[in-house]
Amino acid sequence: MNDDELMAGVRQAFDALDPLPEGVLAAARASIAWRTPAATLAEPVQDRGARAAAGVRGGPGRVLTFACPGTTVEIEVAEFGRDRELTGRLVPPSSGAVQVRHRDLPPDGIEVRAESAGLFWVPRVPEGLVSLVLRLDDGTSIVTSWVRL
Amino acid sequence: MAQLDDGTDELVIRARDGDGAAWARLVERHSGLLWSIARSHGLNDADSGDVVQTTWLRLVERIDGLRDPSATACWLATTARHESLRLVRRRGRDRPLVPAPRAPEPEPDRVVLGRERLGLVGAALESLPQRCRTLLRLFALAPSHAELAAALGIPLGSVGPTRARCLDALRRLVP
Repeated sequence: MNDDELMAGVRQAFDALDPLPEGVLAAARASIAWRTPAATLAEPVQDRGARAAAGVRGGPGRVLTFACPGTTVEIEVAEFGRDRELTGRLVPPSSGAVQVRHRDLPPDGIEVRAESAGLFWVPRVPEGLVSLVLRLDDGTSIVTSWVRL
Repeated sequence: MAQLDDGTDELVIRARDGDGAAWARLVERHSGLLWSIARSHGLNDADSGDVVQTTWLRLVERIDGLRDPSATACWLATTARHESLRLVRRRGRDRPLVPAPRAPEPEPDRVVLGRERLGLVGAALESLPQRCRTLLRLFALAPSHAELAAALGIPLGSVGPTRARCLDALRRLVP
């Protein structure tokens, strides 16, 4: 057998033993729907604080910081079983709508307001991959990079 | 017949312009490698699915600002490796008293069922060490040495020799 035949055999064997699940492929195809071309991406710059030990209610919070030119988004995450409570702060302070994006939530699932001090609170978000879209009252939009909460 | 230009960079540009079929094609072409990268870190089904999903979401969030679409294939492999390592660390932290999850060994009856379809090469693979099996899987799926280097986190120069060693080991076992 030449190299190409060997490699084809390897591919075939793993295809039979451990195929990529159709559901994973479908989710990947659907992910393009989360695109937000008009929003500025805020990248993670810090992920601070250990997660509470399993079963300990409201242990020390995790603090995530995202940044894009001109704005920082700080999110404190408290863990209650499979739910997460988010307390957010925009620096410098600005007001606007905050939309929580999560695979298990409808597209316009959870929306809250950031008040003029730049503070917002989301009492219940399911664990998993989360991204926030912030539509600020000055007309600009920011989207936070996906993070596993 | 119109010429079909379907290089990865071209697909990324078309997907960015709103071509859903180009996006689907991109996902179908690369997801197998991303899944294998997650598996090579010993992740289970749920976590491997999570790695593939997160990797594509990271591309979606960056697709509009992408400066070099031709780097996408390597970027995907690197991102899947980082996300895998992140999950391995997180699992270690979540369940410090339980051993880290291992690569799932196929169920015995699954192996029996699959054996006929595995062919000579598949049977030979089973007698190779885990490390070599994993490498060969990635070698078989990654279209270029650059993507392999990204998937494995090793220098580009050592991809060729590593690949040759594993292929030799496999060849010795195939009748």
